[in-house]
Amino acid sequence: MRFRFCGELDCPDWVLAEISILSKLTSVKMKLLCVQVVKDLLGQSIDYDKVHKLTADAKYEAGDVKASIAALSFILSSAAKYQVDGESLSNELQQLGLPKEHSSSLCKTYADNLSNLQAQFMRQSLKLSQLESAEWRVDYILSSSELQEVQEPMVQLRFRVRNPDTGDVTPHSFNMTADKFRLFLSELKQAHQVMGGLAL
Amino acid sequence: MLLVLADEHKEHLGFLNEVDVEVVREFCRIAMEFIRSGPNPKLYQSAAQKLSVASETVQHGVEGLMFLLTEAARYMISEIDFQDSIMTLGFSEDLRSLLLQLYLDNRTEIRTILSEMSMDLPHYHNLEWRLEVTVASRTLRHQVTPRLMMKLHTQDSGEKDVQVLQTDPVNLLHMTRVLEGALAEMKSTHCRRIVRNIK
Repeated sequence: MRFRFCGELDCPDWVLAEISILSKLTSVKMKLLCVQVVKDLLGQSIDYDKVHKLTADAKYEAGDVKASIAALSFILSSAAKYQVDGESLSNELQQLGLPKEHSSSLCKTYADNLSNLQAQFMRQSLKLSQLESAEWRVDYILSSSELQEVQEPMVQLRFRVRNPDTGDVTPHSFNMTADKFRLFLSELKQAHQVMGGLAL
Repeated sequence: MLLVLADEHKEHLGFLNEVDVEVVREFCRIAMEFIRSGPNPKLYQSAAQKLSVASETVQHGVEGLMFLLTEAARYMISEIDFQDSIMTLGFSEDLRSLLLQLYLDNRTEIRTILSEMSMDLPHYHNLEWRLEVTVASRTLRHQVTPRLMMKLHTQDSGEKDVQVLQTDPVNLLHMTRVLEGALAEMKSTHCRRIVRNIK
């Protein structure tokens, strides 16, 4: 059985097993649980006390709570990843056995937060390093130990680069003479032009 | 298989014989906590004061108990062997049954903790990937080169390491084929025979 929200692949077995556990919740509680899971996916912390209160009525054990959060997390994030619209997601979940009210409340939460989820996932995508800021300064060298009259302008650049894994920002500074800088600038302008041509 | 206990060990455990069964129960609980999270010297002090003995004796008693449990769990000895092994300590009947109960209840947990402590090699933690196309470079314009960039996160006993890797689509197909072949190897008759014999 191929499902769009799993990227045209089979649905994982553990998600199928969780559907029956999720059906034990009422659809109102399901919606509140979905809101909590979306908060977690968007990077805010999940409020576990609220989750326990919601699941206490359905008498979930500790393992069930974790499994239901994991299943909802998978469904919402993978549907956002493959850009499935709310209607198709609702149909596919009903095919898996989730009752109609639960599917519709899940899909309503999904549709409301789809653009936020996709923006967050775009931010979380693989990045090697990021330019945090660039600073510059132009100096005029009067003389040096080698030559008495130098009279040369020079630019000093400092790029602050952020490493996405550790979050550290390392500064990289270097100097350039005017000619080299002219070359550097023209190369970057060409690259900018190619990028501009691509922008859809 | 019988456990052979060193004389020093027997001496340390001999202390347990001199106190009440309730106190031994408490010691068993402290020993399990030791195995789970490490020693707690403050507990030894307070216990020693309550029993009016040296804190060292308490510490040796708890450590002896813990060592007995870990050795028994390590060799996965049966109940009868465990009972025979502690017979030499000269404990009373209820003390022996208490120790046996403690061993049986916590055997699997101790084994899981012991297995986590063995040698670790760097293992897979996470793989992030992205598909990109190089359209131009400083030396060559108007090119279309698809590439897959991957970041492999591995973990080695708590330390995380990151490797950035790059591959083109042909290599990617080859890699997936080789890895799927490795997975399929588990289903071959040779592997199935070995797995059946281990179980």
